Parts: sequence; structure tokens; C-alpha cells
Amino acid sequence: MYDPPVSSSIDLSIPSELGYERVVREAVASFAHRLGFATERVEDLKTAVSEACLNAIEHGNAQTPGLRVDVTCVWDGSGLTVCVQDQGLRPYSGHVTPGIEQRLRGDAPPRGLGLYLITQLVDACGFKLSSNGGNVLYMCMRRCPRA
Amino acid sequence: MADVSHNAGPVERVVELHLPSRLGYEKVAMDAAASLARRMGFSADRVDALRTALAEAITNAIEHGNAHDAQMRVLVMLTVRPSELVVSVADQGRKPLMPAHLSPPPTIEESFTRGDKGGWGIWLIRELMDEVEFTTAPSGGNQVRMVIHLEKQS
Repeated sequence: MYDPPVSSSIDLSIPSELGYERVVREAVASFAHRLGFATERVEDLKTAVSEACLNAIEHGNAQTPGLRVDVTCVWDGSGLTVCVQDQGLRPYSGHVTPGIEQRLRGDAPPRGLGLYLITQLVDACGFKLSSNGGNVLYMCMRRCPRA
Repeated sequence: MADVSHNAGPVERVVELHLPSRLGYEKVAMDAAASLARRMGFSADRVDALRTALAEAITNAIEHGNAHDAQMRVLVMLTVRPSELVVSVADQGRKPLMPAHLSPPPTIEESFTRGDKGGWGIWLIRELMDEVEFTTAPSGGNQVRMVIHLEKQS
């Protein structure tokens, strides 16, 4: 098995347009796989990262052409932290709506579960302040030893 | 990531990727570029050609330009245009590319007798990509710019 270094990082920057989140998803998956994460965890991370990028594009950058989404992935030797940053046209509250039952009953729109999904898929996540006013969503995943 | 301007026109989109200078990380760029190329409509064999050319270019940047210094970075820029994908790979250039490296590759016969089996990367990149150009990156390092044209499906 590939023995990951003590620390390592990659940075990505994409146009703030729907569809480009797939490029981030593949790059992050490839990085996590190299670091020795189990396939199942890599799949969870892919979904979480896609949701975070979609939020950045749709909400933080309000689907404005010409803006960017920046993604940094830092491995510290035991965990991977992925930060997704937009340019903060709209601030997010970070409020997670847990109304899954309501949505299943059709009493609420099916969209808007991105943050809830992220909280379920990664080991820790939250919002950080950014110096340039953008929203920064961080997601951490610890690496469990492979069976 | 503030070293590159984003004056992309309405029909040009840029994806940037910064990697550590460590062998194996070329895979991250290969997967990202393949995802983008598939989305643009490139056929599976063209996507494979792109993956191989990109792997060679990044390996050169890590091994030669950045001389395996893990503190140095490799910058990969993928520029999406309506009819082509432009891929540039830049290192931080401790070792400039020698003109001899751009000359014809060693022959198969030579390779059998030489201890070093390398030296085919640039030849391979030229074979696989539609346009290839070796320049100096804005950061002063080596840069290879490769273009792959999107052929219309008949």
C-alpha cells in the first residue's frame, strides 16, 4: 500500500459554474485514495465535496458568472481537511435544516439538504471566517486503518 | 492561488490545480483533467491520450524542473475552450529544460543497451497531443503547453 507522507496538500480553483464541481470531486477522490482512505469513505467525501461546491456556486456566489470557487485539501498525517471557499456574495447562516420527514411527506421542497448531508458524511464540518469575506466550509475526515 | 489572473472571456473557463512535487500526485491531475475532458465530449481514447501526456508532463516537472523538492509545487492549468482543451504544466524551475531534451528520443536499440530507460516523455507528449510548446512559466520555471482539439462526432 502507498505510504502517505506526514503532511501534504493540493489546491484547486474552478469557475463558479454548475458542472465544474465534478472536476473537484474527482481530484479530491484521487487525493484521498492516494492517502489510503477506504473506497467507502472516498465515496462519502466525493458526495460531501460536491454538495459543498454546489452550495458555493448556487448560494455563496449566487450563480454569478466570472466568480471562482477555491478548494484546499490538507492532509496532516491522520486526517484530511477539505475547505471550499466562495467569494461571499451571499453569506450563509450555516443553519442545517433536519426536516427529512417533512420532505419525505412532501410538506417541504426536496432541495436544501446539502449541508445536512455533509454533516452526515464527514467526521466534522463547519464554517470558518475568511479574510476576504467569502464563506468557507471546512470538512474533516479521519482515516481509519484499512481492514 | 493569487498568482494567476482570471481574465477568462465568456467562452473560456480555467481550472487550476496546485500539486506537491511528489511522484504519484500526477494521478490527481490526471483524474481531474479526464473528468473535464469527458464533460467536454472527448472520446475515451482521447481522454486516455490526455491522461498519459499529462502524466509525462507532470513527472518531468517533478523529477527535472523541481528536482524532487517536495516543498515546490507543480501548477496545472486546464483551459476549456469551445473546440479545444489547453493544458499547461509549470514547475518552479530549479533546472531549466536543456535543448537536448527536446531532440529526438533515444532509439529502441539504444534503450536496450542503456541503463537509463527514460527519455521518451517529450516524444510521447508530442505524439499524443495536437499542439505542444515549451516555454517559460510566469514564475520563471519551465512550462509545457499542450492542446487537444475536440473533433466533431460524425
